[in-house]
Amino acid sequence: MQRHAIAAIMRREFVLRWGRRNLGFAWLFAEPLIFAFPVITIWTLVRAPFEHGLPMTAFVWSGYMPLLIFRHVTMGAIFTIRQNVGLLFHRRVSPFDIFLGRQGLEALGNLASVAFSFFVLHIFGFLDWPYDYTLFVLGFVYTAWWSLAVALILASLSERWEVIPHIWSPIAYLYIWFSGFLFMAAWVPPNIRAIILAIDPPFICYEIERAGLFGPRLQFYYDIPYLTYVLLILTAIGLWLMHHVRKHLELE
Amino acid sequence: MIRVLGLYKEYRSEVNHRRIRVLNDITFSVAPGEKIALLGRNGAGKSTLIRMISGIELPTAGTIERSMSVSWPVGLIGGIGSSMTGNDNIRFISRLYNKDFGAVREYVEDFAQLGKFLSEPVKTYSAGMRSRLNFGLSLAIDFDCFLIDEMVAAGDARFQRRSHEELFEKRADRSLILASHVPDIIRSHCSRAIVLHYGRAKVFDDLDLAISIYNDL
Repeated sequence: MQRHAIAAIMRREFVLRWGRRNLGFAWLFAEPLIFAFPVITIWTLVRAPFEHGLPMTAFVWSGYMPLLIFRHVTMGAIFTIRQNVGLLFHRRVSPFDIFLGRQGLEALGNLASVAFSFFVLHIFGFLDWPYDYTLFVLGFVYTAWWSLAVALILASLSERWEVIPHIWSPIAYLYIWFSGFLFMAAWVPPNIRAIILAIDPPFICYEIERAGLFGPRLQFYYDIPYLTYVLLILTAIGLWLMHHVRKHLELE
Repeated sequence: MIRVLGLYKEYRSEVNHRRIRVLNDITFSVAPGEKIALLGRNGAGKSTLIRMISGIELPTAGTIERSMSVSWPVGLIGGIGSSMTGNDNIRFISRLYNKDFGAVREYVEDFAQLGKFLSEPVKTYSAGMRSRLNFGLSLAIDFDCFLIDEMVAAGDARFQRRSHEELFEKRADRSLILASHVPDIIRSHCSRAIVLHYGRAKVFDDLDLAISIYNDL
């Protein structure tokens, strides 16, 4: 870990992405809201105000924000190293520094926008305070970790195989169906639930986050040590791939 | 001191995956204070050699020992970001190398004479302006050895005089490896030369001889 390099790249990225000629800092928070608000409005109008005993807006919000985190963090990771290969002219910058500088900032920005949209919706009366703050925050932290772990693998693999972005776009679409965006463990039969919880890390992140938001109104299913273990393995795979990415890079 | 020992570099051809040897058993050393020119036709491996010395590219075989700090390869590409402004580049590099932004900025401003262009994106700069910014930054960060890949004939006499003064008078103890096609730049900055040809390298202590051999290649 090279804190100097990562911090310098984060600030550089910050200036580049939300530069002086754009809206600046505001984009960081506005961007997810531009996506989230129309979706929430439509869902709220179309569907009943309560579904399975849960307030609809809160349910949609709790599904949509983790999806945004995942999409933003993973999409930007593809070819992130080659797009910034000029940074590797400085020996103290490693490919991992580029990854963490850019996608780490993306994850932090998205987490900040989750907090921001929560407060906005809370002020308008759409969202109540979470039942359990720790679980709620933990759910989002795990979502960010899961997204970064997948992004790390994608960033390294896309430098090896050009086909990755083509494979990734259908997977990113299917993610809506298997991530927990639309459904919860309590709604599926126990035998299927056990399988999903074993093979679907983002689903567990969703359960943690929603358990924190909604409390004991519904039964939530999550095993935090198991999730931690799975994410550690994914992160290790990603780090190993990233460590060996250099020989696949071309320095202009 | 930099010692390059039995250096080989091979690439795989993208067409038929055959190995292409760019550098073939290169050995030389650079002592503190030595200013060496790197001569060779386009594609002779000058940039590759400079990148390996800076440590951003690995040799296929052979070793490079460095007992002094070595700059990044200062050239037209790499090292600085082209969609960032000059000032943003100064800020990024100061942060990366843990130097005071104000001091680095002041130095680069004075050395590169970019004036109000420092707040414009680098992609709007001419080749000479980029060279001046990049070279000025590496001087401001201050290394024991400067690696310069293709210093553009920045032309104006003031800049020539200034870089000569910075490298020879203020930094007589520092080393320089300079790749260039321009005899005037080489004569004003270097005392020895390495000529690269078909992957082989030959070191010349007589600069004029090296330049005349290079001209006949």
